[in-house]
Amino acid sequence: MQLVVNRRFAAGALAVAFGLTACGLTACGGDSPSSPGKTDTTGLAPASCPGVNLGPKPATLSLAQSTPATLQVLGGGAETARYTAEIAVRGQIAYTTTWGTRSAIGNKINVWDVSGNTPTLLDSVIVSGASTLGDVAVSDDGSLLVVATEFSGGSIVIFDLADPKHPRLLSRFTNSDTDPGVHTAEIGRVNGKLYGFLSIDPLGNLSHARLVIVDLSTPTAPRAVFTKVTGNPFVHDTFIRDGLLFVALWDDGMEIWDVGGCGSGASPAAPRVLGGVKTLNGHVHNIWWYHDPNGSKRFAFVGEEGSGTIGSTSRGDIHVVDISDPAAPKEVAFYRVTGAGTHNFSVDEANGVLYAAYYNGGVRAIDVRGDLGTCPASQQVIDGSTNLARCDLRLMGRELGIGLTELNRTIYIWGVQYLNGAVYASDMVNGIWKLTAAK
Amino acid sequence: MRICLLVTVATLAVARDSARAQDVSIMAQAIPLVTRADPTATRRALTEGYVTQPIVMTHASRGWLRGISTLNFEGLTIDRGELSTGGYGEGYVDRRHPHAYVHELLAGAESSVGGVRASLFAGRGFAPFGSDDPMARPFEKYPVNHHLAQVLERVVAVGAIRYGPVIGELGTFNGDEPIGPGSSPAFDRFGDSWSSRLTLLPLSDAEVSASYASVTSPEVHVGHGLDQRKASVVARFSRATATTWHYALLEWARTDERDKGSLATRLTSLLGEGAVCARGVVAGGRIERTDRPEEEPSLDPFRTPRPASDLANLGVSRWTTITASISAPRVQQGIVSGRPFIEVARISTAPGTPPGIFDAVLRYGTRRMWMYSAGIRLRAGSMHDRMGRYGAALPPMTMGDVGTHSGNRESERMPPMADMPSTRESQMAHHASASRCSL
Repeated sequence: MQLVVNRRFAAGALAVAFGLTACGLTACGGDSPSSPGKTDTTGLAPASCPGVNLGPKPATLSLAQSTPATLQVLGGGAETARYTAEIAVRGQIAYTTTWGTRSAIGNKINVWDVSGNTPTLLDSVIVSGASTLGDVAVSDDGSLLVVATEFSGGSIVIFDLADPKHPRLLSRFTNSDTDPGVHTAEIGRVNGKLYGFLSIDPLGNLSHARLVIVDLSTPTAPRAVFTKVTGNPFVHDTFIRDGLLFVALWDDGMEIWDVGGCGSGASPAAPRVLGGVKTLNGHVHNIWWYHDPNGSKRFAFVGEEGSGTIGSTSRGDIHVVDISDPAAPKEVAFYRVTGAGTHNFSVDEANGVLYAAYYNGGVRAIDVRGDLGTCPASQQVIDGSTNLARCDLRLMGRELGIGLTELNRTIYIWGVQYLNGAVYASDMVNGIWKLTAAK
Repeated sequence: MRICLLVTVATLAVARDSARAQDVSIMAQAIPLVTRADPTATRRALTEGYVTQPIVMTHASRGWLRGISTLNFEGLTIDRGELSTGGYGEGYVDRRHPHAYVHELLAGAESSVGGVRASLFAGRGFAPFGSDDPMARPFEKYPVNHHLAQVLERVVAVGAIRYGPVIGELGTFNGDEPIGPGSSPAFDRFGDSWSSRLTLLPLSDAEVSASYASVTSPEVHVGHGLDQRKASVVARFSRATATTWHYALLEWARTDERDKGSLATRLTSLLGEGAVCARGVVAGGRIERTDRPEEEPSLDPFRTPRPASDLANLGVSRWTTITASISAPRVQQGIVSGRPFIEVARISTAPGTPPGIFDAVLRYGTRRMWMYSAGIRLRAGSMHDRMGRYGAALPPMTMGDVGTHSGNRESERMPPMADMPSTRESQMAHHASASRCSL
């Protein structure tokens, strides 16, 4: 995970330097940047968050339309007893979680060796008292594996990765605020301290969805530092980077919280909401704040998770949000796959490629370099109900590659991660895939 | 249980006698039941016993004022749900959920002007949609289509007009379905949903109705879940004499689940059922084919999270159920009557559209199941003629002592509501007939 930049605190700066070094040496896992990008000291420091430099305005690119390439499948590892959920890859090891009930319930973590083309199963871990393990993340230093559990009495389970091939249980955190389930658990550092950001499912008519922040600095004794009822009706995911927390609030859109990055005194224990945006269609499920290789940090990618039937159908676009003013983000572009909907993201930031899991639509690779919010009228689509004009990334010629749809079999891709020239995808129906990255 | 019922009835009878005896009708019912489901969601056979459908129903009137209440105590007796392979709804699957303690509680007014009979009812109860509640029909087991064919336990305002052979109803209500037996409706959502029903009475004892409903976010209490557009067409025939009864019902129902206006899932049901009675023996048969949306189960295979954590389902399954029922003549003991019965159901399931990842063999170990039930319908007092219609929406009956309508001595002690032609006709016939065929 990326570390926080808070220039008011020397300790924070040291932590940033250490963290960048760590991430540079060994790529980060989970929903985290694969490359830290260049440090940028010029550009926009928004008034609402002067502690964060959003870098220069990205250049406008003119791209020729071309047929997206096929992301070649290198190999697959099968899981047929359970449905596979999220994926996290670090080094030569991939961790996949399981979901729901197939012939067995989704209480298993699979550990895969992905050093070769074909992932091979190394080990597995059963988590008691769970029917779904919907999320998995590896800490930036590679020392911890954190898994979210659902239904019922949700929790996070923390494993020691001293031996990455064989996770060892360290602790389990649960309290009344994690009931009935932790839908996702993202982890990241703020001012050098590791935190978990837990999105909690709603329960009946008595309890709304919540966000719980847990101090993981002592992983054997996690400690809740903040809880907030939020999300309408769900809060599904978060993205933490540079002391800003991006929160996916379903029909309430995306919010940006200062948890220590703006230099305002906010912290994970006392966040401050900077602003938010309701993207078209709502259903805000996941987010990635993109740092491009030139230092620009103007765009966040928002995943819309519409209704669907697992294994058959899905719907939902990728929405591009300009966060130049974090107090008033605005939607500027989108990407749509007819007949399929997006789920989780991973971005190859060094090369400007967004990889999106697209359920029955496989894996999509999209060119996200440059200015995504500026395009000629011929590449714009105006929403009929709001009159919002947005650039269509497909019309902009940014669709680079498609993976797994060429296989003559049912696929349903939950998660994806880019790492070191390869793309790893978790497939609810089949297990894990390894593909070549987009050129 | 039986003693409790007697006490309850006696207590209510005292209250009635101290007020206006001719204005109050009270009924108490309970069904001690044993069901064997072979196999069920545990992939093995289960045999369970409980007291199901324990209710106390009260009708009262004074002049043009009406009062209706049905208290349902299933929350105390079948909190885990009643084995009902294929059944689903309100967080239960393959078990019928317990209904709300306050099943109905309505106040209304009814009057006639120039051949037009009109009524207006408000409170908690049925929206004007679909067919009669299964509790008022000849079978103990609910059909799979309960949540496609009725809309109940809402805060409703229902207006009805009857002129000659035509009945029109219009109602508005809160879309959210109950979370549990004691849960409170979302009163602030009253008016977010509506339904209407048109009924034609072409022949004596026969009716044809068509209805439509727009239900907002029934499964997410706070809103922002999938909306439903429901349609239903029902043909019903019920004719009774003092010693015989012939009953038939044909029903088509469809529910479209919509995600912000777009069709997400279409669920269709086709049901036919009939019953005949001679010498006090009632024999019935039902065949049904109904689509069921499959959901992610929790650790308990008979439960699904409410609300779900997103808008996806596991697929649509198609259930075909053939049920046969036979009951012995009613026996009377004091104010309580009892009618022993047995029911046998042959159940099969197949993939629906879209099939998703649901696999009946994984869940049940087979695609064909049996369900056997034996019980005794205990009753004191006179049941509603119909459940799901109020005031002017109740068609007049030429012979009222039919189906679930009791004709025992207790009902003679508890006269029907005064000045209510729709029921008065039936009650008069009912008392005249003293039918041996009431359930």
